[in-house]
Amino acid sequence: SQGIIERDETPMEKEIARLHRVDFEFSDIFYFCRKGFEAIVEDEVTQRFSSEELVSWNLLTRTNVNFHYISLRLTVVWVIGVIVRYCFLLPLRFTLAAIGITSMIVGTTAVGQLPNSSVKNYLSEVVHLTCSRILVRALSGTIRYHNKENKPQKGGICVANHTSPIDAIILTNDGCYAMVGQVHGGLMGVIQRATVKACPHVWFERSEMKDRHLVTKRLREHVADKSKLPILIFPEGTCINNTSVMMFKKGSFEIGGTIYPVAIKYDPQFGDAFWNSSKYNIVSYLLRIMTSWAIVCNVWYMPPMVREEGEDAVQFANRVRSAIARQGGLTELPWDGGLKRAKVKDTFKEEQQKNYSKMLVRNGSIG
Amino acid sequence: CAQGSSHPPPSPLSFSLTVTSEQIEHLHRRFKQLSRDQLTIRKENFDSIPDLEFNPIRGKIVHAFFDKRNLRQESDGLADEINFEDFLTIMSYFRPIEMNMDEEQLDRFRKEKLKFLFHMYDSDHDGKITLQEYRNVVEELLSGNPHLEKESARSIADGAMMEAASICVGQMGPDQVYEGITFEDFLKMWQGIDIETKMHVRFLNMETIAHCY
Repeated sequence: SQGIIERDETPMEKEIARLHRVDFEFSDIFYFCRKGFEAIVEDEVTQRFSSEELVSWNLLTRTNVNFHYISLRLTVVWVIGVIVRYCFLLPLRFTLAAIGITSMIVGTTAVGQLPNSSVKNYLSEVVHLTCSRILVRALSGTIRYHNKENKPQKGGICVANHTSPIDAIILTNDGCYAMVGQVHGGLMGVIQRATVKACPHVWFERSEMKDRHLVTKRLREHVADKSKLPILIFPEGTCINNTSVMMFKKGSFEIGGTIYPVAIKYDPQFGDAFWNSSKYNIVSYLLRIMTSWAIVCNVWYMPPMVREEGEDAVQFANRVRSAIARQGGLTELPWDGGLKRAKVKDTFKEEQQKNYSKMLVRNGSIG
Repeated sequence: CAQGSSHPPPSPLSFSLTVTSEQIEHLHRRFKQLSRDQLTIRKENFDSIPDLEFNPIRGKIVHAFFDKRNLRQESDGLADEINFEDFLTIMSYFRPIEMNMDEEQLDRFRKEKLKFLFHMYDSDHDGKITLQEYRNVVEELLSGNPHLEKESARSIADGAMMEAASICVGQMGPDQVYEGITFEDFLKMWQGIDIETKMHVRFLNMETIAHCY
């Protein structure tokens, strides 16, 4: 997406060399000064953690920052929209969601009573698919799946970009996956405990999540068993606003096995699916989703990828990330999704400064 | 439902800042984002910009925003916090040259930008860039490289300072001490060199760009 200021893409070396009459000059400060100002006026990274703004209004005040009164007619239309969404759509959707969640819990518990057999697996798939479909209807989801021939196979790892908690439902609407995640309390915990009886999802205790080797080991065991469903992982680690793909955590790419990349792109015109977890909690997020017009998205299944010879996990992760970004029409940023909450690592800072001083030493008259 | 801002962007400002009202609106939005919807920004608010983190002179840039000399205030020293008008004042040092400027305007323009830069170097606000102040800047620029010793940074600074002295004062006798670069000397150093195009931030055409708020 476009920025608001013009950025000069000349590399640092060229630009500073242009100003040089001797080796080090007062002028070197210009380059960094300007870069600093550009960063203050517009920051590529922080932009991605807030929702994308629409060019034309879709009658949802939440997506229009500069909301102000335009005309009586528009306000009337908007009020009608509010009534339709809150008084008609919302109760309908809420009921559907309740039915979906209840059936999921009851269904998977029932199937879980059966002894392990192919019948059980079949029934588990039926239950998961049906309940997923009910839940997608509950959000008025309209999903187009592309390239279904590339759908993730058993024993593989499905990797997708992350925009919201409903990403998982979008994907399970079309196939069965083994979910990976942390154990939660409350309603989510109940669902987790019920579903794991029917299907081997991988739920980790909070303490286990901290131990990376344990996590990798468990996932490796799951993937090694070719009869088990493909696991679903979101390597960004946090929700991004669906205009870009941020750095993938390399852990998922160290497990081995075949990676099936999937790109998910939401159409923001009908409703904003991005979960800004620092601004809204999950309940108000779900409320916003259920009072939008619809959730419209495109899902592209991409051909499987494996780690090549001589490629390490990080390079492999970047390769998969580029493929997903290209397919979904998203930009790629080398930044870590963790920047939503934390600060830039010192290693990044040092890189830039090292480059500059290396340049000086090369050009410079130091002994 | 989200409403518009509780404090609307100010109308075009009194001093000569020829940016469009759209650009002011964008800057205002950015200001609100940085200040987290408060009316003023403090130094800590600049910590939330990842792109700025690896700029070696980050400290000096942030400092420049709060420097009262740059804010065209009568008193000296540092402000604790700045409002949107101050923010725009600092931004105005980076506006690009316009086609219809005459000689006098261009000259004033150039002087302003150079003054801004001068203040960056002159950290103790005494109107002179001393050798020590210059060394500080060089060290900051080179601070990220652990392989570069302090001595090397010093000799770079000393070399550049001597060069500057020769431009400003000409040949010095062995007993002469060069006190520091005054603003007039600083201007002399930059004569004939085009700095205006190096020190500007140009806004893109604003029509119907979808962006993130």
